[in-house]
This record gives sequence, structure tokens and C-alpha cells, in this order.
Amino acid sequence: MANTALDLLLGGAALALMVLFSLNAGTRKRIQAEDRLKSSLKEIEDLKAALDEHAIVAITDPRGRITYVNDKFCAISKYSRDELLGQDHRIINSAHHPKAFIRDLWTTIGSGRVWHGEIKNRAKDGTFYWVDTTLVPFLDERGKPRQYVAIRADITARKAEEEARRATEARYRALFEYAPDGILIADSRSQYVDANASMCRMLGFTRGELIGMHASNIVVPEEIRHIEPALSAINAKSDYHREWRFRRKDGSVFTGEVIATAMPDGNLMGMVRDITERKRIEAAAAHLASIVESSDDAIVGKDLSGVVTSWNAGAEKIFGYSAEEMRGRPVARLIPAERQHEETEILACIRRGERVINFDTVRLRKDGGTIDVSVTVSAIRDSSGAIVGASKVARDITQRKRAEEEIRRLNVELEQRVVERTAQLEAANKELEAFSYSVSHDLRAPLRAMDGFSQAVLEDFGPEMPDEGRSQLRVIRESAQRMGELIDDLLSFSRLGRQPLSKRTVNTGQLVRAALAELNAEREGRQVEIRIGELPPCECDPALLKQVWTNLLSNALKYTGKRENALVEVGWAEFQGEQAYFVRDNGAGFDMRYAGKLFGVFQRLHRAEEYEGTGVGLAIVQRVVHRHGGRVWAEAAPDRGATFYFTLKGETEL
Amino acid sequence: MNESHAVELLLVEDNPQDLALSLRALKKANFANQIHVARDGAEALEFIFCEGPHAARKIADGPKVILLDLKLPKVDGLEVLKRIKGDPRTKMIPVVVLTSSKEQSDVIESYQLGVNSYIVKPVNFERFTGAVRDLGLYWLLLNQAPKVDD
Repeated sequence: MANTALDLLLGGAALALMVLFSLNAGTRKRIQAEDRLKSSLKEIEDLKAALDEHAIVAITDPRGRITYVNDKFCAISKYSRDELLGQDHRIINSAHHPKAFIRDLWTTIGSGRVWHGEIKNRAKDGTFYWVDTTLVPFLDERGKPRQYVAIRADITARKAEEEARRATEARYRALFEYAPDGILIADSRSQYVDANASMCRMLGFTRGELIGMHASNIVVPEEIRHIEPALSAINAKSDYHREWRFRRKDGSVFTGEVIATAMPDGNLMGMVRDITERKRIEAAAAHLASIVESSDDAIVGKDLSGVVTSWNAGAEKIFGYSAEEMRGRPVARLIPAERQHEETEILACIRRGERVINFDTVRLRKDGGTIDVSVTVSAIRDSSGAIVGASKVARDITQRKRAEEEIRRLNVELEQRVVERTAQLEAANKELEAFSYSVSHDLRAPLRAMDGFSQAVLEDFGPEMPDEGRSQLRVIRESAQRMGELIDDLLSFSRLGRQPLSKRTVNTGQLVRAALAELNAEREGRQVEIRIGELPPCECDPALLKQVWTNLLSNALKYTGKRENALVEVGWAEFQGEQAYFVRDNGAGFDMRYAGKLFGVFQRLHRAEEYEGTGVGLAIVQRVVHRHGGRVWAEAAPDRGATFYFTLKGETEL
Repeated sequence: MNESHAVELLLVEDNPQDLALSLRALKKANFANQIHVARDGAEALEFIFCEGPHAARKIADGPKVILLDLKLPKVDGLEVLKRIKGDPRTKMIPVVVLTSSKEQSDVIESYQLGVNSYIVKPVNFERFTGAVRDLGLYWLLLNQAPKVDD
């Protein structure tokens, strides 16, 4: 046991040999040597004890069978010494190491070289432990391994730490690689040394391209001057937060939110989140919010129990309550007591997913007054489509209501006025009828008397009267008769304005021939050529239109009375862009300077001695034509004939 | 006026000038003796229906024709016409409206009430005389009046 122990100790053995050699020098020297040997052995024993305290020691024979184990070996392997001796090391094999590893170990020590390495073993209870192992082969005289000494140190704890560290590293690496945000690592010179996949994707660069780059390579030019201050800030404090405008490899730009920090190893880490979409949504939301806020209409959000969730400036203006006063309060406070059921009904509609559109109602203001509003209510849905509330848009329609009321009032007034005016017109018409009746009846009676009694005087006393007396009585009679004609014409003219039109399609040619037939007497004994051209039918009151043709033709015949070869033409032609009927004669004509008087009642352009007439005929023509929405005009020159045109367009009644 | 003879013609006229002229015209046509004149509608009705001062007369005795002005004091011409044409005893008597009125409404209403003729008095005296003479000739001499039983 002692020998074996001595053999164990490499250093101790060498020392012992040296001691033995020196004893051969002499007895004294031998005694001295013995003392020294004793002391060496003691030292060796001490060393061994110390070694046992520190290391796990085992010795095997050349075939690997265990010949010696110390207490530490037993403790770590959890086997007793008896269980170990005679076994080989397979008893603690963990099967962790590959075969090549084991083969290399045996090749090394089999060839007499020391092997050093870390081995994972399995204890009796199945747990594993790691040992830092040194295997020293001891050779016999022939140079073959005589035994192997294994000295081991327990490194299980260190190994566990290493594994834990590796796991942590792998975890952080995965975190780095798979983080949705971009992550950049820069060295102390602020050159990038690493970038994760998200960062590469965001910028369009490969990791290889990014490594070695600087912040100035990935931001827009305007941002470059902010880099140095940012680096200082990052180095100065632990957290840094700012939005940056980045430029991708393809030149496009995005906004990234950057969080950066200096790491213990002196590197800098920056995390980048692309917030372009968030910015867009924020801008859209801000835009919508500003629309809501700037609306003159009240826009109110409420939940399904009718509690106000949002309240815009329009609502404040219309109802008088501020947003602070209304948010969280029931919207019912805006509803007059007698209309409370409306809110229940509206909310029921909303729950069914229906809208309430332009519901005109009355609401209460903060000051206690009421206000007319038109309300539109729609459901508010969450992202899953569930109805969570309602948005109400209320428009102040007080003005509109007032305007409507005003319109109603004006309409009533107008109707009243129309009724009154109609009554006045009817009365005026009645008066006019009474007047013309009276003219017709009463004015003609005295004329008849004047004429009749003048005639009676002529008949009864004519023979005894001087010629002058008879002639003067004849003047009286002529005047009375002429006044009768004037009255008749005036009455028929006045009747034209009152008589209702009864329009139908009329064959104009037939109408003209009928009018001419009535004028046969005026043509008797005269040489008059009458030419009737193509005349389209017209939409008119035939009796009145016949009067027009009769008057125009009668004029034409009258004013051609002094012509040897009178010519009257009737036709239809385009004149100054208008299609017009016309009656042309080659008679006396007139001076166009007086054309303005032509159609006035009792206006005449010729003296009565030259041409008879009352001056009503053309006034009648004009009145009939106007009542048919047409126009009448004339062209003439003194002694060169006249042409009268008229149109019947339009449906206007004058 | 002349109640012993059957009256041939009743002239209803309020205007004295028109009356004088009408009578002059009728006299020229030799109808003077068979004329009775009424100066308003009420007088005309009393004569026709033999009332008041004419109670002794018989409705069946005529007149053979009535010349009726429309614009009359008391009872107007259209009312007189309506009464004549509305009574079976008198409705067969020819009535000629002789008036100054050319108003269509008068003409239409007269014919609706059953007038036999509607004549507008002309201003011209020759024509007036002619019209009256023609009327007298037609209605009194040429027209064969149906016999009316009382």
C-alpha cells in the first residue's frame, strides 16, 4: 500500500532516487541519506495527503482496471472503493464523448504521452459530473506502460456555468435575430459591427454591407448633423430615444423610432422601429379628429347605455355644455322629459345595427332653452364588428325651422293675397263688364235718337227747309252713326281682352279664304289681284285669328283703293330669323317714322276723308297676336305699299 | 190702349226716343192701330197676364208678338222673357228681343230662355226702320201662330 503510494508520486519518486544515489558516497553520507530519506518520505506523505485533499486520484493497470482510488473519487462517483477496484472506467462512462475522443485518449497514453482533457462522467446514481483530467502513463523497462495515474479536478460547477452562459447567449442571439425591431451594434468608433435580420430588411442592406458602415450611411442627409450629439448623448446616459429619418439602400425614406444605449463592453446598441405606418395612422387620426373638432355640427359618441364618451366643439356650441361637463354623463340630460322615449328607441335601433338618419327633434340646452336639431345616429363597432356604442351627429336646424316657418307664413300670406287680388280682379272685370254693357246699351240709345230724329225732321220738314239746314242735319246723322261705329269697335276691342282663348289647330289657308269671303263687298267693282302662298297651320283661337286676318286684309283692300291694279299678297316667310305670316299690299303705305303709333287704339296715320276707319283694327290685331304669345310689326314706305307680319309663337296669354 | 181689339203687337220699351222711333217705324209699316206699349217690365207682365188694369182682358187675346227691350225699369227684360216662356199659356207667343246690347251673355241667355229672335237696334235710322218693319211683317203677317187653348 505504501509502495503503491510511493509509486504514485512522480515528484516524490524522483526525489527518493536522488537520495539513494547520494547515500552510496559514504556511511556518514548514508546515515545522512537515511535521515534525508525519512524526511523525504515524510514530505511525500504530506504531499500525498495534500493531493488527496485537492484532487480525485485513480490508478489503473495497463489494461485499464482500477487498482487505486482515493476518497474524493469515491465521493464524486458515489461508488464505494470495493465497487470500483478491479472495474475499468466504463463504470463511470457517461456516453457523452464520441468514440474518436476515447480512441485518441488511449492512443496518447498508450504511446507513453500524457493526456489532458475534460471528461464528463456518470455517478452511480445516474447524475453527471465533469472532471478536468490528467492521465500520466508510467512505463516499465521496456518502455511499455506499467500503470496509469489519473488526477482529476471536479469542474462540474464550471461546466454548468459554461452551459448556462451558452444557453443565455443563444437566447439573446435568437432575441437579437428574431426581434421585429431592427437592432444595430456599433463599436466605440461608431462603426457597425452587427445588425439583425429586421434591420437588414428595413434598410435593404445585407448584414455584410452594414458591418463597417456608420450612421451617416443610413440616415437622410439632413439628419447627419444630429449623429455626433446623439452619440454623445448615448454615451453619457443609459437610455436614448428619438425619431430618425432613415434612408434605405434604394434611396427611399422611412421614419424610425430609435432607442439606443451604451453597453458594458463599450459597444453601442440601437433598436429601430419603422413607425411610417403608425405616423400615417396618427396623421389620419389627427386629421379626423380635427374634422370632428372643427365641425359646426355636434358630434357625440356614446356607449350603449347612453353615456357620453366624446363631445366635440360643435356639441359644446350647440348644447352649451363643455366636454368636461358631458363626458361620462348620460346623454339623456339633453332630452326634454316628454321625449325621453326617443333615446330608448334610438339606442334600440343602434343595437339592431340600424341607423337613424336626419331625425328632426328638439333638445335641451344647458341654459334650459330648447333647440331644433336634426339627428343622425350610427353604430360604433369595435375591430371584431361588435356594436359598442353610437355616434350621434346633431345639426342645429333652428334657422331652417325658422325659415320653413317663414316660408309657410309667406305662402299663407301669398295665398291670401292671391285670393284678395283675384277677388279684386273679378270685381274689376265685373265692373268692366257692367261698364261695357252700359256703353253698349245706354250710349247707343241717344245716338239712335239723334240719327232717328234728324231723319224724322228731314222726312217731315225737309221740303220746307233750306238746303243748308238739310245738309247740317245730315252731318248730325253721319256723326251719330260714326260714333256708333266707334262704340262698336271699342266694345269688340275690350271684349278681346276678357274673352278666354280656345285654341286648336287651325288650317290657316281656310281661315284666310273665309276672311276674304267676308270682305267681298269691299272688292266689288275693283281690280284686285290676291295671291295666297303656302300657309302652315297654326295653334290658335280660330274666331280671334279670323278677326286678325279680316282686319289686315280689310286694311290692305282699303289702302289699295286708289290703285288701278291693286295687289294683295298673303304668305309665310322667314323674316329676321323668325317665321312669320304676312299680308303685303301695293297701296298707300305709310311713313315708318309713325310706325310706333300704328297699333294704338284710335291711332290713325291717314285722314278720314282719304281712308275711312276708326283706328281700332290694328289695335285688335295686336291684342290677339299678343294673347297668342306672338309679335306683330310692319314695314312700309309712303305710297309704296305696306307689309304686316305676325308670329304666333309661345303660349303666353296677355 | 185699345182693348176692344185683339192686340197684335206688344212693344216693351222704356226709352221715350227709342219708343217714338219704333212707333214711327211701325206706323210707316201700317201696324199703328194694333200696338200696345208697356214702359217697364212690370207693366208688360200685367198686360200679358191680364192683371191689374188689364184684368178684363183675356190672355188668349194676344198679343201675337212681343217686342221686348232687355234693359227695363222694375222687372228687366230677361225676367219678363222667362215668365212668358215659363208659362204654358204664353210660351207660344213669339218674343223678339230688340235691344241695344250686343253682349254675348245677353244673346245666349235670351236664346236659352226661348226667345224667338234677337235683334240689335242699329244706330242708323233707315236700318232701324227696316229691322222693325221686317219684324212686323214676319211675325204678324207671315208667321202662322199656333192656336193656344185657354
